[in-house]
Amino acid sequence: MADSEFSPKFAPFFSFAGIAAAMIFGSMGAAYGTAKSGIGISGVGTFRSDLIMKSLVPVVMSGIIAVYGLVIAVLIAQDMQPPPTQNMSLYTGFMHLASGLSVGLAGVAAGYTIGIVGDAGVRAYMQQSRVYVGMILILIFGEVLGLYGLIVGLILNSKSHG
Amino acid sequence: MASRRGQGKSYAEAVASPVPEKPSDSDVTPAVPTNVIFKLLGFSVAMISLPIGMYFIAVKFGASPTVAGIIAAVAANVVLFTYVYVAWQDDRLEREAETKKNNKKAQ
Repeated sequence: MADSEFSPKFAPFFSFAGIAAAMIFGSMGAAYGTAKSGIGISGVGTFRSDLIMKSLVPVVMSGIIAVYGLVIAVLIAQDMQPPPTQNMSLYTGFMHLASGLSVGLAGVAAGYTIGIVGDAGVRAYMQQSRVYVGMILILIFGEVLGLYGLIVGLILNSKSHG
Repeated sequence: MASRRGQGKSYAEAVASPVPEKPSDSDVTPAVPTNVIFKLLGFSVAMISLPIGMYFIAVKFGASPTVAGIIAAVAANVVLFTYVYVAWQDDRLEREAETKKNNKKAQ
């Protein structure tokens, strides 16, 4: 495709913005989730060190949020070619930006939920062991928010080079 | 107090002679059992390498990038649920061992 009204020179800018948004926002969500739930786990560990292993679940879930961002970033990056071989349309660039933003900001939402639920849930679990199943369920529902972002991002990304 | 130092030996002799080995009654086993550490290390490595590895393996076997992305996300969730299961199992075994110990004490 030649350089035209529909594929201007600055179109790849939006694709790279999408890559950056997926990675940066996804990592921000994962970082908040890890840090906030880590505070709770440290607080529990000083009193009941035998619960640490089971309390690490929110940290693993935060890691998954970052993996979602990573998947979208890798997918967009593999569509990119330097200009002489590929002149991408502005539509494709915006689509990449949308997929990156959707997975990134959904990751922030999921990470925020996992952080707060992880902190409070782990502390409650220290005093009442039946909270565990409920805590895992709430964490999974928080995690699913990030998964929705990933699904929308994947659909947008697969449509972008149709 | 000074007269008791070294029990008849000079200070230099006391330093030169090997220290008598006292039977230590302090618990020197690591606070976290090694099998737990290996488990956590294994899950860390799996969490880092499995999703992205599955993505590239799927792409190599001819899956479309979108399908490969879905496979990577599924792999990450499989690791998570394996972790929850292993932690659950660990806790159950520990609790069973504790009740056994308590029963022995009661007898």
